[in-house]
Amino acid sequence: MSGIGKYFKLNLNSATKQTSGGSCGCGNTSGGCGSHINESAPVKTSCGCGNTSGSCGSHSTPEISEQEFFDAAVDAAIGDERKKDGFDQVFEVKMDRRTAFRKLTASLMIGAGAVSTSCSVTTGDESKEKAQIDWEEQFKGNYKLMTDEERNATVNRLVRSYELRKKENITMKSTDAVKDVLFGYAFNISKCQGYMDCVNACVKENNQDRNSEMQYIRIHEMKDGEGFKFNEADDNYYHEVPAEGHFYMGTQCFHCDNPPCVEVCPVEATWREDDGLVVIDYDWCVGCRYCMAACPYDGRRFNWSKPEVPEEEVNKDQHYLGNRMRKKGVMEKCTFCVQRSRSGKDPACVEACPTGARIFGNLLDPNSTIRWVLENKKVFRLKEDLGTEPKFWYFMD
Amino acid sequence: MNRYRSAHILGVTFLLTFMIFSCKHSEGEYHSLTDKIEAESKNYHGTTISSESYIGDIETIEITEGEHTFSIPERKSQITSYACIECHTKPLKELKGVDLKKAHWDINLVHANEKIMNCATCHNGDDMNNLKSLTDTAIDFNRSYQLCAQCHSPQFEDWKGGAHGKNIGGWSSPRAAMTCVNCHNPHKPEIESRWPSRFNTQKVKERE
Repeated sequence: MSGIGKYFKLNLNSATKQTSGGSCGCGNTSGGCGSHINESAPVKTSCGCGNTSGSCGSHSTPEISEQEFFDAAVDAAIGDERKKDGFDQVFEVKMDRRTAFRKLTASLMIGAGAVSTSCSVTTGDESKEKAQIDWEEQFKGNYKLMTDEERNATVNRLVRSYELRKKENITMKSTDAVKDVLFGYAFNISKCQGYMDCVNACVKENNQDRNSEMQYIRIHEMKDGEGFKFNEADDNYYHEVPAEGHFYMGTQCFHCDNPPCVEVCPVEATWREDDGLVVIDYDWCVGCRYCMAACPYDGRRFNWSKPEVPEEEVNKDQHYLGNRMRKKGVMEKCTFCVQRSRSGKDPACVEACPTGARIFGNLLDPNSTIRWVLENKKVFRLKEDLGTEPKFWYFMD
Repeated sequence: MNRYRSAHILGVTFLLTFMIFSCKHSEGEYHSLTDKIEAESKNYHGTTISSESYIGDIETIEITEGEHTFSIPERKSQITSYACIECHTKPLKELKGVDLKKAHWDINLVHANEKIMNCATCHNGDDMNNLKSLTDTAIDFNRSYQLCAQCHSPQFEDWKGGAHGKNIGGWSSPRAAMTCVNCHNPHKPEIESRWPSRFNTQKVKERE
């Protein structure tokens, strides 16, 4: 249980007794678990708990024990939701007229708030503009389907919104994929020394959350002669590198040509662009994390909290599909630095690598360095048999 | 008999149409990524994207080696005490023993062993402004890679192609790359070990 201790655990017919805060896995469908509290805890209440003694046996005493108090508290909090899931939890809620009105009013207030701010004569021009921007941003469409004007409009809104909120100017691009470009990447395993300069540069370039220390790139320290064993590799070492008897290899989003993450997205918030980049519309993402589960390479990251970057460290050269500021509850990942690569610049990791282990270029250009690597070195990709067609090759000297 | 034949023809037609449609993969028109790259790069005539502006203020010279043409940083202007003959006014032998200020005391040759290399392997005491090849041909300081390539031929091949060394600026044309001495100190070419530039404390917490 070490390692995932703080996460929610499912205990299905476990033979071991649950030690911490075990709620009674009640089997009866009517009345719910809470019923035995109302019935002043009679002995005959059937309890679906696996253990015959201990927590369940405590019903026989008339006073409320600690366990019963806990159960009651849980019931009060989630009650019916323990039996219902998903759709039912939301829609099969018994609601009297008063609660219904209160809830309706609450959502109306939010809308009215936006409207009143924008129509009010007393609020300032800036807050009106903010409200107007928020309103339009809220109801904009999927970036993939936008026309060029719509793309420009949303980019302008986002730039203005940042200016209004932070009093700082940013530039944001919405550069499209260019014809005859297909981005590809090669990684020289013999050259990488594990310095992690690439990770540093990536975090800075892409405005990744500093609090959760999100990192798109992982550098795995692997034992010589053992091959790729990700379960035994260390991707968070801190000692002098390169360590004796180890080699280093980096992983990040591989921008698959047949990306499973795109296939599973229920809202089409992620897609593959014509130049091969797999991108995300952060404003369309609903945060279901299907893509995170579908990616066989651990390439995607989720914002569990609001991403924060100190104002002086924010990279203000941004792209809508790239390093613009994200929000809580959306996915993000490596974009091959779309804000740089689409202008002809190398991604930040390539530029930062002091060993030259990272090679980036246009796969469609027969004279590019990436093509030379693919044609003249013995290259391979990770989990090639999955048919995901990553555009990220590994090779050795 | 005729009815059988028409049924047969109908069946075959149906089968053929079915086969045509079922062969169409949902993944796209290519069987694999390599096929796609091969097919789509056949009529490649360059892109509109240029990387020229990202080379920055680095002064470069264009070199052509075999089928590869690209730029490398100009070197002579970067060497602190170039031109060498400003101090090396006389041949080396005559300078030795003369009561002059000591020079190059900071250079300690750690490159191969003494049997194989010494200063004179690359430097010419009679022509200090140039390097020299193993066959005593002069090599310009700006093209010092030619000197390295004498022994390190696999690295030279990889460097020309782009598999060794570091690209400068951007991925598009014009291509510019670091030359050997931009990363390796020619007198001590091995790159030293050091500490990683960061450590993720949150990852440690997450995995506790």
